[in-house]
Amino acid sequence: MNFIHEHLLSLLVLLPAAAAVVVALLPRSAERLHKTLGLGFSLVLFALSWLLVDGFRPTSAMQFVERHELLPAYGISFTLGIDGISLWLVILTTFLTPLALLGSWHGIHERVREFVVFMLLLEAGMLGVFCALDLFVFYVFWEAMLIPMYFLIGIWGHERRIYAALKFFLYTMAGSVLMLVAFLVLYQAAGLETFDLRRLQSQPVAPELQMWLFAAFALAFAIKVPMFPFHTWLPDAHVEAPTAGSVILAGVLLKMGGYGFLRLAIPLFPDAAAAFAPWIGGLAVIGIVYGALVSLVQPDLKKLVAYSSVSHLGFVMLGVAGFTTLSVTGAVYQMLNHGISTGALFFMVGMLYERRHTRLIAEFGGLKSVMPWFSALFLMVCLSSIAVPGFNGFVGEFLILLGSWSFSPSLVALASLGVILAAAYILWMVQRVLYGEVTHAANRGLPDLDLREWTVLLPLVALSLFMGVASPYFTRKIEPSVSDLVRRVQAAQRAGAVRAVELAPHAATLAAEGGR
Amino acid sequence: MPGLDLRPVLPAALLAVAGLVVLLAQAFTPRGARAPSAALSLFGLAGAAALTWLVGCDPGPAPSLGGAIVLDPFARFFHYLVLGVGALTVLLAGGYLGRAGIERGEFYTLALFSMVGMLGLVSARDLISLFVALEIMSVAAYALVGLLRERAASLEAALKYFVTGAFSSAFFLYGVALLYGVAGSTSLERVAAALGGAERAPLALLGAALLLVGFGFKVASVPFHAWTPDVYEGAPTPVTAFMSAGVKAAAFAALVRVFGDALAALQPRWQPLVAALAVATMVLGNLGALAQSNVKRLLAWSSVAHAGYLLAGLVAAPRLAAEAIAFYLVGYAAVSLGTFGALAALSRADREPLSLDDLAGLSQRRPMLAAALTVFLISLTGVPISAGFVGKFQLFSAAVSAGQVGVAIVGVMMSVVSAYYYLRVVVAMYMREATGGDPWSRLGAGPALAIGVSAAIVLGLGVWPGPLLAAARAAAASFPTLF
Repeated sequence: MNFIHEHLLSLLVLLPAAAAVVVALLPRSAERLHKTLGLGFSLVLFALSWLLVDGFRPTSAMQFVERHELLPAYGISFTLGIDGISLWLVILTTFLTPLALLGSWHGIHERVREFVVFMLLLEAGMLGVFCALDLFVFYVFWEAMLIPMYFLIGIWGHERRIYAALKFFLYTMAGSVLMLVAFLVLYQAAGLETFDLRRLQSQPVAPELQMWLFAAFALAFAIKVPMFPFHTWLPDAHVEAPTAGSVILAGVLLKMGGYGFLRLAIPLFPDAAAAFAPWIGGLAVIGIVYGALVSLVQPDLKKLVAYSSVSHLGFVMLGVAGFTTLSVTGAVYQMLNHGISTGALFFMVGMLYERRHTRLIAEFGGLKSVMPWFSALFLMVCLSSIAVPGFNGFVGEFLILLGSWSFSPSLVALASLGVILAAAYILWMVQRVLYGEVTHAANRGLPDLDLREWTVLLPLVALSLFMGVASPYFTRKIEPSVSDLVRRVQAAQRAGAVRAVELAPHAATLAAEGGR
Repeated sequence: MPGLDLRPVLPAALLAVAGLVVLLAQAFTPRGARAPSAALSLFGLAGAAALTWLVGCDPGPAPSLGGAIVLDPFARFFHYLVLGVGALTVLLAGGYLGRAGIERGEFYTLALFSMVGMLGLVSARDLISLFVALEIMSVAAYALVGLLRERAASLEAALKYFVTGAFSSAFFLYGVALLYGVAGSTSLERVAAALGGAERAPLALLGAALLLVGFGFKVASVPFHAWTPDVYEGAPTPVTAFMSAGVKAAAFAALVRVFGDALAALQPRWQPLVAALAVATMVLGNLGALAQSNVKRLLAWSSVAHAGYLLAGLVAAPRLAAEAIAFYLVGYAAVSLGTFGALAALSRADREPLSLDDLAGLSQRRPMLAAALTVFLISLTGVPISAGFVGKFQLFSAAVSAGQVGVAIVGVMMSVVSAYYYLRVVVAMYMREATGGDPWSRLGAGPALAIGVSAAIVLGLGVWPGPLLAAARAAAASFPTLF
């Protein structure tokens, strides 16, 4: 038990990879076995990850830290650790993966072994990103994750899957390679001979250099979030991906952008973060409104949910840009909310697609009378998505808006417009899909949820209610890390400002001497 | 008399003998029977590796032939690499040669002779020895390219390679002559010493530039790359694998030794030139590959692109550059052998899988082979977890450490471009349906083993690069620390 506790994070990261190897070695025809093993392994991981919650002390410190020298000559070590910001994201990952596997139990019937292998590899990559405390290791997981996702979209996706998979891969890779160069420059500039994130954070680099490096990091993360105007890969990838792919993509992968800002970009480059904050906040709000407006006119359910992600993640980024303890806590919380509610929405759109082989809103209508249970759960998920009080979304958005007020009241006012628009596009969609007469004969005999679908949806719906009423259970663990981060960064920003003030007269003297 | 210590040339000498034995065995084999050429070659290669190891155990193997040939850690590193490439090539070639009707001793003999040149190239510390080794390697390679005598493409490729190669040799010799004029010696040591006081730099710089042209042809860097697509396409595929893995590695090793050792004092002067060449090679190589639909040509252009990444590493301080390039070349050799080897192993007597359509649905027919190819393509793209990622990380890190951030940025952006064309191959294998039956040859044991080993190397270096990085670092310690 002690061993497990001391190596919990590396177990979490390496176990899915090992499981993937095991599944890959099985004979191709044993499809049931592949699915069962994949599900079993991911459930074991979920159980293991609860040990983290169990042992997590609500302080700001990095916990469960492990350090194994990897390439000491290059300052690279396999360092893992979690704090309040990453804890729940790890749990979200281990929570959604088994659901995604269960959700595609019938949907995937070709090359099942490969599917399970890629899902497990993806899980390893995602957990690695959230746990890594070494820039090199972070980058390895960050990039390696693209490959399984690329295959998931490209092999099991819908009609335009190849285009979408390629676009996803190229977009994300284009963003992250510049970050890699920024890592290298940072390594040189810091002169600490290490890629250890915590040591690099303790020594901010020169302000001018910070601007460039922050820009490179921000590009990588903004594409991942995705922030307007870097979002164009998202509708394609989400719509073309199979259900499990969409769920993981929306549920977990999109969180990595916001997480990257909080874990890497802002603490490493505090001065640049302060300078860029208005831009990030502005783009976030544009994303909120733009995403909502585009969602309003989507005829395709899956596209609507995809664009709603652009809008929802705008809130997350507004919270990040606001950078108060309140707004960042809200942003982290909203990341979890989005993972759950949008994950559930993608599951349900997938369930409709499995029944009708269409995703067009116009093809549905009056489902309430045909599939009452489905409709009830769908409605609840939608309410959570539009942040109705009592559901999780409300807590997140409220904290973000409240916390960002001191940052920019006008942006908060505009963002609130997004809340209203969200209600408009979601409720209008609900109205057209669930209510009214059954207009298509094909919809008349649709079966309601079966046991497997209940098993997938019930945890999500229950959790979104629980997170709506019992938010302190989660925020208590998030907040200490966030307030510590905010304090550290603001102290660094003040120090940077002081340096600038001290330098200014000096620079003036120099200029005067130069003029003479 | 220390000048007569021949131990450093023993591995190369053994390979030469092995080449002759293969030739003789062929001559004495009765008509209709098959000579044990492959087995003899493998014995020779193993013997040469053992000799390298034995000579290396000696604490101070004296330089041989008046200091012209050394077996320092750098040379030993590349000895093992060249011999490994040779062994995998022999394993890969078997089935292909049989189907193409050239399963005779010549292939093995020529490959062994070419490797004699490579071993000389990586251990030469004298410009004349270096030139002789370069020629030994190249002449055998010209003949290898034209081995498919019945095919016009093969002959055309051989001629093209020969003519451009001869040109480049002339440039190279000119460079040697100019450096001799400056230093009064062709020994790399003396040249380095003479360049310490750099007042005669212009002439030396011209010499360096001409050497760069000569090497540029051999490693296929822009603007001396024009022969590459035709030659890589026309040559028998195992030969293409051998060239892409072996010739490039040996030529780069010599390039690093000349520029990192003899011309190190001039680095501030040639660094911008090499940086410009690197940028041009990365950009044009990748853009060239973008337009290809023939897999062999695509990989040929990609080979140009990779010469660019390697040149990007050369701008760094000698030790850093040598370390990064040595590591990268191992991964790249494994990838080249694997990809071209897979094409060779699938080939039939009359055709090879060359178009993307030919590879459509490969993942369903040959899951293992498709998986291995995917590993190679991922490594070529430079995505973790693969040797290619760690290698590029090292190269670009070296470039950044030399202040060449722009070169590194071009490098990573071009890697994104390359993802597009490498992924097209993956798309064909995994996301397109196969049509009709499986027309391609079964994999023999030799090719399967060679491809498996290559894939294991590529993945292994991606997961656990530490040991090889340490070896590369030890090899690079053969270079002076000037800066």
